[in-house]
Amino acid sequence: MSVLTVNQLSRDYGNERGIFDLTFQVKEGEALGFLGPNGAGKTTTIRHLMGFLRPEKGSCSINGLDCWKHRATIQKDLGYIPGEISFFDDMTGKEFLNFYSSFRNLKTTSRINELIDRFDLNTRGKLKKMSKGMKQKVGIVAAFIHDPQVLILDEPTSGLDPLMQNRFIELILEEKQKGKTILMSSHMFEEVERTCHRVCIIKEGKLVAVDSVDSLKASQAKKFVITFENEEMAADFTTKWEESTYRSNQVTLIARQNINDMIALLSTYSISNITSPEQGLEEIFLQYYGGSEHA
Amino acid sequence: MLNITLYKRGMRENIKIILAFAAVLTMYFTIIVTMFDPTFGSALSELAKAMPELMNMFGMNPSSSTLTGFMSAYLYGFIMLIFPMVFSIICANRLVARHVDKGSMVYLLSAPVKRKTIVFTQINVLISGIFIIVLYATALGIAACESSFPGELDIPKFIFLNIGVFGLQLLIGGICFLSSCIFNETKYSIAFGAGIPALAYVIQMLANSGEELSNAKYATFFTLFNSDGIIAGDTVTYIQILVLFLTSFILFTASVITFTRKDMPI
Repeated sequence: MSVLTVNQLSRDYGNERGIFDLTFQVKEGEALGFLGPNGAGKTTTIRHLMGFLRPEKGSCSINGLDCWKHRATIQKDLGYIPGEISFFDDMTGKEFLNFYSSFRNLKTTSRINELIDRFDLNTRGKLKKMSKGMKQKVGIVAAFIHDPQVLILDEPTSGLDPLMQNRFIELILEEKQKGKTILMSSHMFEEVERTCHRVCIIKEGKLVAVDSVDSLKASQAKKFVITFENEEMAADFTTKWEESTYRSNQVTLIARQNINDMIALLSTYSISNITSPEQGLEEIFLQYYGGSEHA
Repeated sequence: MLNITLYKRGMRENIKIILAFAAVLTMYFTIIVTMFDPTFGSALSELAKAMPELMNMFGMNPSSSTLTGFMSAYLYGFIMLIFPMVFSIICANRLVARHVDKGSMVYLLSAPVKRKTIVFTQINVLISGIFIIVLYATALGIAACESSFPGELDIPKFIFLNIGVFGLQLLIGGICFLSSCIFNETKYSIAFGAGIPALAYVIQMLANSGEELSNAKYATFFTLFNSDGIIAGDTVTYIQILVLFLTSFILFTASVITFTRKDMPI
């Protein structure tokens, strides 16, 4: 059963900005990664799901309730991390969390303390003076305060250092174990790859692909930089491997599903180093789109 | 209908500014009251004789020589119109538009609290603030007069004068609040929230300044707060005050509708 449904959702901001005829679902207990470059319409979609914006066309619903008409009811069981976090600046972190919890009419605060410990959050400082990462942590705690069943996370790890990114991913994996339904937008493929079952890719407001993480990975091209013992070997290799170029004794190559072939071929040479540079989402996109063109 | 947590938060934010206004009002009220002289005419009326146009513009032209008329002219023609108005402009903008502009509205809307409850709570914060200021002024006026000139002040009329000013300030608050609900950016919310009442006040000043422009009084809602009429006991003032309250009710209702239906770019 799908918990979160987006049905032919459209909002035209002019100049080809906005979202157009977007349709996708997130099933119960599923984690869907929502990927797209900046300005693709991820946040606009999420604002519709949160009931901040009224759809121009189409509709969206959570647990069968229309996101615009039943926005307050939906929030009971929904946790949200906004893409741009802004609090009541004059409060300290603790004051804000207590305010938010009481505004939500929650009775216990045990969950707040547990989350504060988990993210090493110093809640005594004024929110105004907090760094981006600190604010992000407060935003994360606020989203989980009421132990919601559905989570909408808009670029949740932005501003966090790698250690905290990992702690966040651990938290998401735990929530996934508990059967929570998650929609997580990101422009980092790695984060989505580690946490999500499926990925929905949008570009310029239009749905490009909805696919499982596994098949996205399978179609993903991987880039390797291999250092050969000498230039002749490198040159020789490029004649045998289609997608490769060399520069002195270094070869840059693209491998798709044929990594085994690559290893087999490489083993016939004398190799001094192999690295795989980290790839940005844009690059993965290009390869993904490129890959689907080939097919 | 009211979210207590949000109401408390709003009131706590208001305390400082209310205290500041209370301090200023205390100063004005005590000084002005001591200037009243029942036998020889006050220093202020000498001033009025010296430059009648200017004093007229600010409504400082007592129609009666009683202490009540004196209070009405020198405190309820300018100070009690402008100070609560400044409070409304600041407070109304802060309650809605600033949260939308800054994005902190997200946290009010991402909770199981209806938009109607949020906006109704914020209206109550604004009205409570206005009410506290007017109530304080009423008590202050009575106390200051009773201590300097016991028995001189017509207390029922003075209270009625304050009910009138409360109605007027509610209307101004309604304009500021509606503007705060309509606009997503603080600069526009303030421009209209402050601009419309300020313009109306300027028109009132022009209307007061002389015969030629007296018809301008039909173009400003300040005319509905008819302090001379209240002091004279005219029955039309009851209707005027009723119109003030009704108009503010309409403005606040429009604010609720605007806020619950609007798109939030947050």
